Amino acid sequence: MRKIATLAAVLGLALTSAAKAADPVRIGYSLPLTGVFAAAAPSQKNAYEMWRDQVNANGGLNVNGTKRPVELVMFDDQSDPSQAVKIYEKLITQDKVDLLLAPWGTLHHVAIAPVLERYKFPMVGDTAASVTLRQMKPGYIWFPTSAWPDEMGKQLPLMLKEQGIKTVSLTTIQYPFSLEVKKYFLEGLKANGIEVVSESDYPADIRDMTAMISSVKQANPDAELSLSMPGDSVLYTKQAHELGLKPKMQFMLVGPGVAFFQKMFGDQLNGLVTMGHWSPSQKKWPEAKPFYDAYVAKYNEPPDYLDTVLSYMACQILEQAVGKVGLDKEKLRQTIASDTFQTIDGPVKFEGVVNVSTPTMFLQYQNGVFEIVWPKSEATAQLIGPK
Amino acid sequence: MRLDLGVPLGGVTLATIAAAVLPFVSNDYIVGIGFTLSTWIALTEAWLLISGMAGYVSLGHVAFVGIGAYVAALSWQLLPVWLILLAAGAAAGTLALLVGYPCLRVRGPYFVILTFGLSELLKFIVVNIEAALSVSGRVLFGAPDLHDLFYMMLSLAWASLCVALIIRRSRFGAGLRAIRENEEAAETIGIAAPWFKLTAFALSAIIPGMVGALITMRTSYFDPLDSFSPRTSLLIITMAVIGGSDKPLGPLLGVGFLVLLQELLWANLPQLYMIIVGLLLIAVVVWVPDGIFGGLQRLLARSA
Amino acid sequence: MSFQLLLAALIAGSIYALVALGLNLIYGTMRLLNVAHGEFLMIGAYVAYWGINLWKISPLLAAPAAIVLTAALGVLLYYSIFRRAMTSRAFVERIEANSLLVFFGVSVILQNVTALLFTADLRGYRYEEELISFGGASLPVNKIMVLIIAGSVCIASVIFFARSTLGLAIKALIQQREAAAIVGIPIARVNLISFCIGFGMAGLAGVLVSMTEQISPFMGFPFTVTAFVVIILGGLGNVLGSLLGGLLLGVLETFGVAFTGPGYRSIMIYGVFIAVLLLRPQGLFGPGRART
Repeated sequence: MRKIATLAAVLGLALTSAAKAADPVRIGYSLPLTGVFAAAAPSQKNAYEMWRDQVNANGGLNVNGTKRPVELVMFDDQSDPSQAVKIYEKLITQDKVDLLLAPWGTLHHVAIAPVLERYKFPMVGDTAASVTLRQMKPGYIWFPTSAWPDEMGKQLPLMLKEQGIKTVSLTTIQYPFSLEVKKYFLEGLKANGIEVVSESDYPADIRDMTAMISSVKQANPDAELSLSMPGDSVLYTKQAHELGLKPKMQFMLVGPGVAFFQKMFGDQLNGLVTMGHWSPSQKKWPEAKPFYDAYVAKYNEPPDYLDTVLSYMACQILEQAVGKVGLDKEKLRQTIASDTFQTIDGPVKFEGVVNVSTPTMFLQYQNGVFEIVWPKSEATAQLIGPK
Repeated sequence: MRLDLGVPLGGVTLATIAAAVLPFVSNDYIVGIGFTLSTWIALTEAWLLISGMAGYVSLGHVAFVGIGAYVAALSWQLLPVWLILLAAGAAAGTLALLVGYPCLRVRGPYFVILTFGLSELLKFIVVNIEAALSVSGRVLFGAPDLHDLFYMMLSLAWASLCVALIIRRSRFGAGLRAIRENEEAAETIGIAAPWFKLTAFALSAIIPGMVGALITMRTSYFDPLDSFSPRTSLLIITMAVIGGSDKPLGPLLGVGFLVLLQELLWANLPQLYMIIVGLLLIAVVVWVPDGIFGGLQRLLARSA
Repeated sequence: MSFQLLLAALIAGSIYALVALGLNLIYGTMRLLNVAHGEFLMIGAYVAYWGINLWKISPLLAAPAAIVLTAALGVLLYYSIFRRAMTSRAFVERIEANSLLVFFGVSVILQNVTALLFTADLRGYRYEEELISFGGASLPVNKIMVLIIAGSVCIASVIFFARSTLGLAIKALIQQREAAAIVGIPIARVNLISFCIGFGMAGLAGVLVSMTEQISPFMGFPFTVTAFVVIILGGLGNVLGSLLGGLLLGVLETFGVAFTGPGYRSIMIYGVFIAVLLLRPQGLFGPGRART
């Protein structure tokens, strides 16, 4: 009798100490908590933290059969790419984290890529989009985005042409991403015989768009293409409304997908087209709507359709890869480079650094939610054409 | 060589040689910190020549860093790295000469805001040039690795310190100080103020130009809004003033203190770091105007 | 179109003038280069934002609170830092450079405390956005309010400085500091009042700006820059010059951009700024000789 009790006690002790012995998996990253890009950080931070909370609520991250809790190690890179470089070097060599998640923005991804290469540490990128990324040596970084500027430049004019748009206005903020998109838009518009009747670049610190919007109004285009970022998207929308600009159709690059924009303008946004490759309405992706609902429940606002979605996807890819091969860097690299992953945005497979499973898409705001309206094969709703 | 010059020069050289051992004894993170320290030492010592010694406080020094970065981005893979560095320095020096000629006639607070205006103007000119060329950021693939960059930046820091030390103890430096104290009086005793100022200004620009080129190689990316950010100019002044902008060894303290403080506070609240920097700056300017270095000197002198 | 542009120029110009007036007061009387002026504007903006979000009070009602808060902060700064600093010879000798650094420290602290308290997110509220059309142009009510309020305060200031005893005393202090003491002007008290008015104006400008734009802890810096451009255009210490300079900048910005394109806005503004600094540092509307 005593033997059984002792055995039970020993077993009990062994089991509890085994549970206690599950070391956390430490995942490091940096975000611009201060500096010029500080407003962009929360969308990404929320995604990472929500993923961590969901994984931990589920017992932890599956590593070689054992579930271990996830611990996030975050630093502020002050919106400075050279700080990001130092932070990732620190995370790898000093803090010796088990895994890495990506920083925010194309600049930062490009800056830390050589670090990942030098230490042979794989990391799934997220909030980066630029044609130059394709020139990166494949190996330790991947980009799940499908918002490639050149692809968008080809596809949007096709979509516009189909809607009978013949003339457009093009206003662009002087910022690397938007300028890059503009270059390809101009090519694509020309190729499809659409005339640009008004074209302006404006600086990042613009406070008044009266002159610019007035000239757009005078040119009277069929569609307005506003290659803007969140801050100036708001300004454009407000001042366009004030000056009585009622576009038949409008495209806005970055901004509509961000929560505060939707909160601010609500139904005024109906019909607005923007870039993006995700919608909670996409029934083909069973995880999409649950993710949307969970995010709204936790943060009281819709997720950012670009940054939050991409960041969460990166977490999912990492989770699945680790679940398959554990924490070995070389094995992780091979898995991420070759497997197909199931994410809230559908299947993702990489060839080189590029995600080849997700086509370039466009979204349109319809009654409180962004629907995918292009290409037709992915559409969750029909594009509402020019008014 | 005079003893009061030889000793600090020797000391600085020995310290540099000691620092050069860094890549062999520690990991990349520490070397990265070494790179950052060298960067700011090189910048603040160069800034000292025009702002500390001549009294013409420049709030736009990032213009030289940025132009060096731009030269590097433009000539990337067209020229070998050492030539890129020389070109960056030359471009910055030329900019200083061209701009200095009309601008150094302006005095006091006007000069301060003028330099700020100039660096912002240059920033937006480059932004528009890039936009006109349909270029949206330039990536520098295949940059030298951290150890090589560290040695290059360390050399620039050493050079910048030596230049500051040598000039301070030279007649040129004495002339600059005279200009700072009272420019009209200096001219009456035969100091050709315009030439002195212009030379100091040009000298203060060359190394920052090269620093700019190296920084761009470190991040592999050039973007004018980033490379010409006024934050860099403000940090230079902050570090130099906190350390002590009168003597060449002063900024070393300011740089060391702020960089290491940042390393400590990273993990916690980054805003806290900036708040502490702000408080320090106020405290130093109001109560210890010659910086930590000056304060220490006085302390040591009193206890001696 | 031109009338619409003119209105836009006036609205922008009136804000610029208001902000510059405050900065000019502080510089004019005490030679302090307040590079934290934009941050006081930012504080005013946040007061208005929280006013309407938490207590549903309109920005017009929040304005007095904002003015009181920023003026109080100014007083705090005066007593804690500047009163002591102004007695130190070393400080006063290079007062412009030193005050620049001190205020830079202040601005950094204000920005980061705000970011700590309220996060760096962009925030905004919608207020009185109904459009009113007249003369071929249309403006939302909030912008009309901005124009009226900022405009009245600016004009009132000019009258105040030309007519009232206190205003004249301040002007005297600006023009001839030593002489002002001799004729019995209580320098310390006038300094303090200038501080209050100066910072208070920044707070008011912040409330007005928040009615039409997004706010963030880091929104202040561009306003500080434009304020300096305006006082250079108008002449350091020249009150009427700030008003005219502000309007000029508004016109330059709006019409200049209409002719060349928005991308050139900053180049134009900094170009004019540098040209005036080099060629006529006493300002376009200032006295004949340069004053250092």
